[in-house]
Amino acid sequence: MDLMTNIITIMYYLLVAYIVVIIIWNLIKTKKWEKEILYIVVLLPFLLRLFRLK
Amino acid sequence: MFTYAGIVLGVMVVVYVTAKLFKLSTELSMLAAAIAGGLAGGFGIPVRHIAEGSITYLDINLIFITATLFMNILKESGGIAFVVRGILTRFHNNRALLLMLLTLLLLLPGALTGAGSVTVLITGGMVAIVLNYMGIPLNRTAAIVFIIAGLSAAAPPVSLWAMMTAAGVNMPYVGFFLPLLVPCVIASLITVFVLGWKGSKTDLGRALAELPVPPAGMNWLKVIIPFALFILLIFIGRRWPHSTPVIGLPLMFLFAAATSWILSPVKLDILRISRETVDQLLPLIGTLTCVGILVQLMTLTGVRGLLAVTTVTLPIFLVFATLFVVLPVSEAVLMWGAAPVIGVPLVLLFNTIGLNPIVALAGMSVIWPLGDALPPTAIIGRLTVDVVDYKDSYIGFLKTCAIPAIIIMAIGTLMVVFSSSLGFLTGL
Repeated sequence: MDLMTNIITIMYYLLVAYIVVIIIWNLIKTKKWEKEILYIVVLLPFLLRLFRLK
Repeated sequence: MFTYAGIVLGVMVVVYVTAKLFKLSTELSMLAAAIAGGLAGGFGIPVRHIAEGSITYLDINLIFITATLFMNILKESGGIAFVVRGILTRFHNNRALLLMLLTLLLLLPGALTGAGSVTVLITGGMVAIVLNYMGIPLNRTAAIVFIIAGLSAAAPPVSLWAMMTAAGVNMPYVGFFLPLLVPCVIASLITVFVLGWKGSKTDLGRALAELPVPPAGMNWLKVIIPFALFILLIFIGRRWPHSTPVIGLPLMFLFAAATSWILSPVKLDILRISRETVDQLLPLIGTLTCVGILVQLMTLTGVRGLLAVTTVTLPIFLVFATLFVVLPVSEAVLMWGAAPVIGVPLVLLFNTIGLNPIVALAGMSVIWPLGDALPPTAIIGRLTVDVVDYKDSYIGFLKTCAIPAIIIMAIGTLMVVFSSSLGFLTGL
């Protein structure tokens, strides 16, 4: 059970890391300043979780 | 204390309105209002609280992204087109059954993802084509797609308004399945039959010619298996809660998405689909993140308490009588932010006077999506008229939505008023 829980936790971190990469990719590609700001705001909680700050 | 919180609230409202007047998006307007509230409250720019607030709805954002990824993979693999064509070919002679199955197709994506926009984008366009060839005018087609897309977002298992409000009052998101499912299904069927019953015989040939053709190799099994896996994971977790690890909805959707990707008869570029999914969801996840920040700053400055105290001291008759206006208007202004800002004090009030908070919240969740067609935001309304290709006046579209909207408002309000008697729906 503990092993499964650890695997699930790792999978969630991998999922968050993948989403971070996709958000940064979209942030670099977008040309609209409003979207750029929004991508940065949206990125914040994923980074906080990925680096285990929250 | 009340004066202080009132001034901060005033500053937040003024900054929000000004930001909207400068054509800033609703998400950024909320962020600006939150920062202005912090400044007006004497906290400067409270970075710690901004970070704290931004993460409030991270779990819901994860559900949105993975569920929409699943739906997008299913669409790109040709699964949705296959199902629409299959239903049309099999049931084009039976108008009632065809309407019911199209309703189900519209309900499914939003129910799984919690976003009406996903319904409009994934199945809305294809269902609209079929409805047009059933002789239903475009204004009615647009109204059907919009209303059911809204109801699909409120339908279980993922109902954003219910989840956000429940989180705000520290109530577990448990017992909502039937209280949300029953009104959403009933209201959807009423909508589709009121607006779509009159029409002509279905023009099968022209409808099939306009619908996208699924790739060779697509079949019912490839569509059903990912859904079956998803339902199986939910079932296992509920049947043996103490002997199975908690997987969580995001991973369940991810497994379903991976299955759909593996079973796809065509090679899918998963990176492109992921990027498009995040781009498509940016307004939604942006709103949730900014709402989290706004609510955190409202709590910090006492504005949230002011709203809660004001709401719980209102005459209950006045609250019941104005729900049908307050909820859609708050949705039109704050979008999903309406749930934590308006929904939380209302649920506290209903709980205080002895109503069933789960059923009452489910009733409110059915009314909220109607605001998605109203200015200033009108995100899903505008998206629907675009996808359906409705070119006439927007007011005409709103007028067509009026009858089902009134019925939905009545259902939702009655659920709130009689929530205690309907408590059996929760199964608790």
